[in-house]
Amino acid sequence: MKKTFLLLIAISILTFSFAQEKPKATLPSVDVKTLDGKVFNTKNIENDGKPILVSLWATWCKPCVAELMAINDVYEEWQEETGVVLYAISIDDTKTAAKVAPFVNGKGWDFIVLQDINWDFKRAMNVVDVPFLCLLNGNGEIIWSHTSYAPGSEKEVFELIKKIEK
Amino acid sequence: MNTLKLSISSCLSAFALLCLLLFSSSAFAQIKVGSGTISGDFSFNGMFYIPDSTIGARDVDSKVRANAWLNLNYTNGGFSAGARYEFYLFPLIDFQDIHYQGHGITNFFADYKNDFIQVTGGYFYEQFGQGLTLRSYEDRNLGIDNSLLGGRVKVTPYKGIQLKGIWGIERHNFNFDYIKRNDYVRGLDAEVALADMIPKLSEKGVTLTIGGSFVSKFEKAEDKMFDIYIDTAKYHAFYNGHAITDFTATDIPDVIKCQGLISSDKIPQNVASWATRLNFGIKGFRLEGEYASKVNDPNLSNDYIYKRGEALLMSASYSMKGLGVSASFLRADNMDFRSQRDATPAYAALTLNYIPAINRQYSYQLLGNYSYASQPNGQIGAQAQVNYQIPKKTKIGGRYGTDITVNYARFHDLQKTLVPLSDTIGTITATEGYTSKFFGFGKTLLYQDIGFDITRRFDKHWKLMLMYNYINYNMVLQGKPGTINGNHVGFELTYKINDIHALRLENQYLFIPKKNNLEEKEKGSWIYLLLEYSISPKWFITVSDQWHAGNKSKLHYPNAAVAFVHNTTRIALNFGKTRAGILCVGGVCRTVPASFGLGLSVTTTF
Repeated sequence: MKKTFLLLIAISILTFSFAQEKPKATLPSVDVKTLDGKVFNTKNIENDGKPILVSLWATWCKPCVAELMAINDVYEEWQEETGVVLYAISIDDTKTAAKVAPFVNGKGWDFIVLQDINWDFKRAMNVVDVPFLCLLNGNGEIIWSHTSYAPGSEKEVFELIKKIEK
Repeated sequence: MNTLKLSISSCLSAFALLCLLLFSSSAFAQIKVGSGTISGDFSFNGMFYIPDSTIGARDVDSKVRANAWLNLNYTNGGFSAGARYEFYLFPLIDFQDIHYQGHGITNFFADYKNDFIQVTGGYFYEQFGQGLTLRSYEDRNLGIDNSLLGGRVKVTPYKGIQLKGIWGIERHNFNFDYIKRNDYVRGLDAEVALADMIPKLSEKGVTLTIGGSFVSKFEKAEDKMFDIYIDTAKYHAFYNGHAITDFTATDIPDVIKCQGLISSDKIPQNVASWATRLNFGIKGFRLEGEYASKVNDPNLSNDYIYKRGEALLMSASYSMKGLGVSASFLRADNMDFRSQRDATPAYAALTLNYIPAINRQYSYQLLGNYSYASQPNGQIGAQAQVNYQIPKKTKIGGRYGTDITVNYARFHDLQKTLVPLSDTIGTITATEGYTSKFFGFGKTLLYQDIGFDITRRFDKHWKLMLMYNYINYNMVLQGKPGTINGNHVGFELTYKINDIHALRLENQYLFIPKKNNLEEKEKGSWIYLLLEYSISPKWFITVSDQWHAGNKSKLHYPNAAVAFVHNTTRIALNFGKTRAGILCVGGVCRTVPASFGLGLSVTTTF
């Protein structure tokens, strides 16, 4: 048991010692799929130097859908003001993957939707649970990430996007 | 008592590490090392158990239990490497029940990729096509991790073509004694995006992708003895049929029990499975399908028959802005495919492929309790769904539009005809077990669900969801008698007080008719109530109760929880009761024992 504990301590000290600089991580390079079933690499996520939102979600995840519905209601406004685009990366597996396109269209969403069927992107992003939302600046650097959704938190997201613009 | 101390101390150690990490992650998040970055995640799920005989929460030997894990990944350009530490020394009781016990470095890998090639060594996860032949994945909530230890190469020789090759030994819970293993898996997969190569297709807006995969598992064969029951009047086995090469009967009453033998030379050491798939789309229309087949694979889950396995999964959908229609068909026959032929069918461990359940996946408590569990060895069924939005800014649709979903699903067992073993007791050769019609529906209805829901946002403050479902859930899916024929009604009301404070109320009723042949403790209707108060974006306070109002027991399963979220860190404390039942994700289910206690969950991504 002691050994385990020492190992745990060692790992965390190691983490500490590496910690030198504030983050400027970018998105990992992972193959996901477009709704057409084509391979798409996540390093190609871009928006012409403007901010990008990346959301990990699933059709069966209630708070995920609530968050995307809330953003969809104000998306036009956000786009006009900041030029932001949202990549909604679904982690629905084979069980519900074929229903993602009808679901998204049925809701009338304008987001760019990708599919991470075997969770390769979710794993590379170290995401434990969805919803998971992150904000990238014009250089593709992740400047903010957030897990879970409470009604109204989209307001804070918009403030952050506007800050990048300045 | 010593175990209790030990479990407390070990769970505390895991928790201490967590605090350290939380501190380090909040201070430094996504750490830069030279030109690379270190990232990771950490999770801790702990519970203090209180025995409660009324709900069947058993008195466990160690009251303090926890699951914890830590992932660390290093990325530098095209190179990445990582490792995971898992701690299940005194696991939560539902994880102990599925043999998740141990601790150590359970995953490590190194990976290099550029535009042409990707090479991975160590543990990896992979899915071929829709997964009917191969899917290695992890779902921590379910306790599934069937990663492969070995190597993988992915090549993109030309735009639109992707080739994959894998070799590996499948992870089996916490048994890491790979030297003793007699089994391994290899596979090839190819996918071609035809529309990328034929300009005429893409000009017409057609997308077309085809693919194929081949997976073969090897497992050394040994002579095998096992018990068999023979009905002497009919001269065939009680089970679907048995693949017995030789046995001797000791006496001849109506039913005899005797020992059967499968000699090693009659057991296929290599079992191959292949699949072909298609993804076609034009404008809003899309057709996806995969057909898989598996050669003879006598194993414990199919009573050692030599029948070929096959599965077909087809989905068609049409969608345009405001409307989505989809229909899926699934048939699976003898497709339980595992690394080891004697793996226990009741657990998902050592499964190589993925036969999903294609019914609608509900996140509402009372429906979730009766989630359909996929039957890889025999199921046929279909699901259809319509998503429609009454347009925004119309009289009926309202300012924000109104969303409507209608859904129907039905699954049966297969229509099987048993193949008798032999007329003479003596030497019996290998058997197919049964034959089945491809589009034949068996007599047993496993699951049916018809329902709809309507979601409408009235103004900045009020949002309402109404739902109705009629479900038939055959309790055979949980190994129990009877069928739940229930009417489910529910609503979810969200009141956003302002941009920060919001209230959410969920209320569901599941009416189960009095006349049924369910077990006594399963009888009667259920009521569920949940109230959540959120202070955006950091705090969530939830109280809920699940009440078995229609049962003699009148049992309550109350819960209270507080959660705090800061960026990617979530800390939740909950106190209450969990009902015994099943937990399903994607049609893969595990049983969950009843429990009562105080839980703490912390997760963070850094």
